[in-house]
Amino acid sequence: MTSSFTRLLVMVQKELLELVRSLKLLWVPLVFVLLGVMQPASMYYMPLILEKAGNITEGAVIEIPQPLGSEVLAQTLQQFGTLGLLVLVLVGMSSVSGERNSGAASLILVKPIAVFSFTASKWTALLLLAWGSLSAGYLASWYYTGLLFGDVQASKVLGSLLVFGLWLSFAMTLTLFFSTLLRSSAAAAFSTLGTAAALSLLAGLLPKKLGWLPGSLSSFAYQTAVSDIANVSLFGWALACTFTLMAAALTGASWLLRRSSAID
Amino acid sequence: MYDNFDFGQILPIIAPILTIQLVLVIIALVMCIKAEQTRGPKWMWVLIILFVNLIGPITFFIFGRRNER
Repeated sequence: MTSSFTRLLVMVQKELLELVRSLKLLWVPLVFVLLGVMQPASMYYMPLILEKAGNITEGAVIEIPQPLGSEVLAQTLQQFGTLGLLVLVLVGMSSVSGERNSGAASLILVKPIAVFSFTASKWTALLLLAWGSLSAGYLASWYYTGLLFGDVQASKVLGSLLVFGLWLSFAMTLTLFFSTLLRSSAAAAFSTLGTAAALSLLAGLLPKKLGWLPGSLSSFAYQTAVSDIANVSLFGWALACTFTLMAAALTGASWLLRRSSAID
Repeated sequence: MYDNFDFGQILPIIAPILTIQLVLVIIALVMCIKAEQTRGPKWMWVLIILFVNLIGPITFFIFGRRNER
């Protein structure tokens, strides 16, 4: 029992070293910080930008109400959910399939390492990257929002960060699963983004009936940032469903890898 | 409200954004130049990194490098 745990730790350390060496742990958070900072800044200067660059007739008066700080934060989360998610999935898409195609996976898996610790170490690294980037970007956005629009309660920020982080974790788990299932990294990224978009769309179209899907987590995160979650029991179901699916995807990925690690 | 448009007023807000973009460009350039092989010609990537704002470095990080190993 202890030895398998030690093995897992060693594998996780290897993955973390890889994250640091490839500078992913540096540039992905930087991109998130940039996204997080640009949102409040561009919203703050929107009237100015319209005035200077927009093609507006002289004397036309546009009144854009100053948004609340919490609304700005919710919009930042939306940015993270599109561009940020895209970057994260593209970074994670080759985590397993790349190693299998280059032969590194079969090199590692001939050693007495449980397949599960291989998958679990990849998963830990991806999740660490996602949570680190999200926290860095969101905190930067919070600071800027506080500066430009007004303070937002720390509890709201923390709550929406946790809920949204769970959505990103789910997406990362999907990436890992598809990266194991499919040989091509591009196909893995495409399937992940497609599934995530479909889940969000379904949960967005029928929030009452399908609100328990993981896709509704992002809108629960916006709700947490702006006010409170309206439907707590539905949120509970969404949490349970997300955790179940994540566990299933991880197990499935290990199972697939055990069955077909010899293909290459 | 914005009549007396003052660049010095904007600068403290814009400066961090520009700095981060610059850091990303520098990291990407260093990696591109140090890489033994890139996917596609190296000069093309240098141009992309330098002139495509923000997206340039990111595309290089994701697609530009071949898996060495």
